Amino acid sequence: MLITNEVIGSQATLKLGGRFDFHSHRDFRSAYEKILETGAVREIVIDFGDVDYLDSSALGMLLLLREKAESTGKSIALAELRGTVKQVLDIANFGKLFSIKP
Amino acid sequence: MISSRLTILIVDDTPTNAKQLEAVSRKLGHTAILAGDGQEAIDRFKEDKPDLIFMDIMMPVMDGITAAQHIRELPTDKWTPIVFFSALDQMQDIVRGLEAGGDDYIVKPASLQILRAKINSYARMLMLQREVHANTEELRNWRMDAEEQSRLGAHVMNRLTDAAGLRDSMIRHFNMPAETFSGDLLCAARAPGEVLNVLLADAAGHGLAAALSAMPLTQAFYSMTAKGFPLPSIAEELNRKLKSILPPDRFVAATLAAIDVRNQTVEVWNGGNPDALFINTRGEVAMQWASNHPPLGILPDKLFSGMTETVVFHEPGDLVLCSDGLTEAENPAGGWFAIDGVRDALSRAQGSEARFDSLLKGVMDHLGGHPGRDDISALLVSVPIDRRRQIRFNTPMPAHQGHLAEWRLDLSYGAQELRYIDVVPAVLGFVTQIQALKSHQGALFLIFSELFNNALDHGLLGLDSATKSWIGGFELYMRQRGERLARLRDGRIDIAFQLHQDGTRAVLDISMTDTGPGFDFENRIDNPAALTTSNDLAFGRGIALVRNLCEQVVYSGNGNKVWARYVVSDLILESEESEDEAAAHQSDSAGDDTDLVMF
Repeated sequence: MLITNEVIGSQATLKLGGRFDFHSHRDFRSAYEKILETGAVREIVIDFGDVDYLDSSALGMLLLLREKAESTGKSIALAELRGTVKQVLDIANFGKLFSIKP
Repeated sequence: MISSRLTILIVDDTPTNAKQLEAVSRKLGHTAILAGDGQEAIDRFKEDKPDLIFMDIMMPVMDGITAAQHIRELPTDKWTPIVFFSALDQMQDIVRGLEAGGDDYIVKPASLQILRAKINSYARMLMLQREVHANTEELRNWRMDAEEQSRLGAHVMNRLTDAAGLRDSMIRHFNMPAETFSGDLLCAARAPGEVLNVLLADAAGHGLAAALSAMPLTQAFYSMTAKGFPLPSIAEELNRKLKSILPPDRFVAATLAAIDVRNQTVEVWNGGNPDALFINTRGEVAMQWASNHPPLGILPDKLFSGMTETVVFHEPGDLVLCSDGLTEAENPAGGWFAIDGVRDALSRAQGSEARFDSLLKGVMDHLGGHPGRDDISALLVSVPIDRRRQIRFNTPMPAHQGHLAEWRLDLSYGAQELRYIDVVPAVLGFVTQIQALKSHQGALFLIFSELFNNALDHGLLGLDSATKSWIGGFELYMRQRGERLARLRDGRIDIAFQLHQDGTRAVLDISMTDTGPGFDFENRIDNPAALTTSNDLAFGRGIALVRNLCEQVVYSGNGNKVWARYVVSDLILESEESEDEAAAHQSDSAGDDTDLVMF
């Protein structure tokens, strides 16, 4: 999985690409750990625009990030949800757990 | 730690040659063993298991070539290089030596530098071999451990999931694991009132970790179903349990369904699974329940919703639940089977059996011979319309030995408690602890839940049963019930049970009084013609059931008091009857299946 991150003011964006699944564990964690330590960041936006596939382990990673972010007073938003990615997140009703950006 | 010290076997009948090699070996920190001929070399090889062999060719007793051939034929689990060290310097000698199983050939005499370099070179290779060997060994142990754990896991999972409930004639199911065993879990059991509860759970991931996450669900599902808890309460308990056990990145998608053939309703809670489908006899999707909740184990109790969707069915069909392993099964081109694939496969066939086979075949064809990436499971419930509304109870009427001591239970619930307590399973929990009543759980559940729901729904909440007979009325009724119950501030229901002796019989009297306005029981209940009008049908059905199960049902007051007598068993009071006869009597009447046919 490809991850790029960008911090503008209080908003950090993690842009993911490719397959977000069981094998993405380490990449995803190292991408968000630095952001969690950045005090100025209030909101972390996960951009799914280039993600082709999402499995249940990926959903677990999002839940873990959500828990860690909450404990450091940051919020998580999911953005650019389309196709099967949107379908998987909808079935899991993640809209009830995360804020969703169009 | 792997030792870098080698044991070197030196085979030579000329002591000077042997001594030279021995000295070089020792100087490099290795251990040297000497042998004077080929036979001795084989003996030493077997005994001392050397790492490297220097072998002369021309020796008494047995030559070096023959010895090398013998050594190569011995069973071994490691490579032991044989270096021929001989004065024979013709090409055919060298070839013969290598063909006999030698790895190298040094012509005598050789300089000390060459011998040192050879030994060092083999030491490096042998070190590598030792490392690979140690890693392989470690890997093998890991694998054996993992296999043992899998075996145990699979055994425990099978025991937990192979519940008698799944062998219900209404159910067909499959569960194809992606690994040794599945993280998908299927459960089914009958509630005391004959309602069939099913659960299809899919833990995040697959394999042992997933299976482990789903395991805590079984016990809670079965025990709450057996006690007659409603579906929303079961969903809440399952969520609470998983939330307290699982780490934050683990969760379990689940579909819970309750199929009530008597009342013709299907109730579903779906959190994170693909749509549950109800396929009618024409193969059309008559009803569909999308996932309305996040999976189990994510939300804390106060944010979790156990809210279900209940639908009335007016024709028979098949209720189908599945895990996303089914909808996300990929064909060789990477295309998903999808909910459309599920629907198409189901609509292609007629009858539950064929339909189930068609679904299984559909997904197998789609996979095109490849194994699924995720666990794939589905559960199909054949839902009949049973016009006779046959309720089959295994109600043994065992004769009770001797006199019966009276037992009483008086309970009174106010509005505040009625809003959140599942009164029926809670009270039946008390009642069925009494030895004499244990085997009557099914009948008592039906009687008590009917009487209690009448008192609550009609007495306190003022709901009208007639609503249920409209199209979409049941859903409206359930919604109104939920809203009114949440707003309930006044009112009380008094409940009394009395188990006592009535002549030669043990009887249970149940009475219930609510503080509601009552109803015109003389016209609605005691006039048999009234029962046939559609207005009273839904209500009358329940009361007719109670009347069938009880010896007597009497309404009084404004219709807000009801008293029912249920016959528990005969009592054997003759003291002259021997124990053997009593036992014989008991086995005669025990296991007497009683079919109760209503309407």
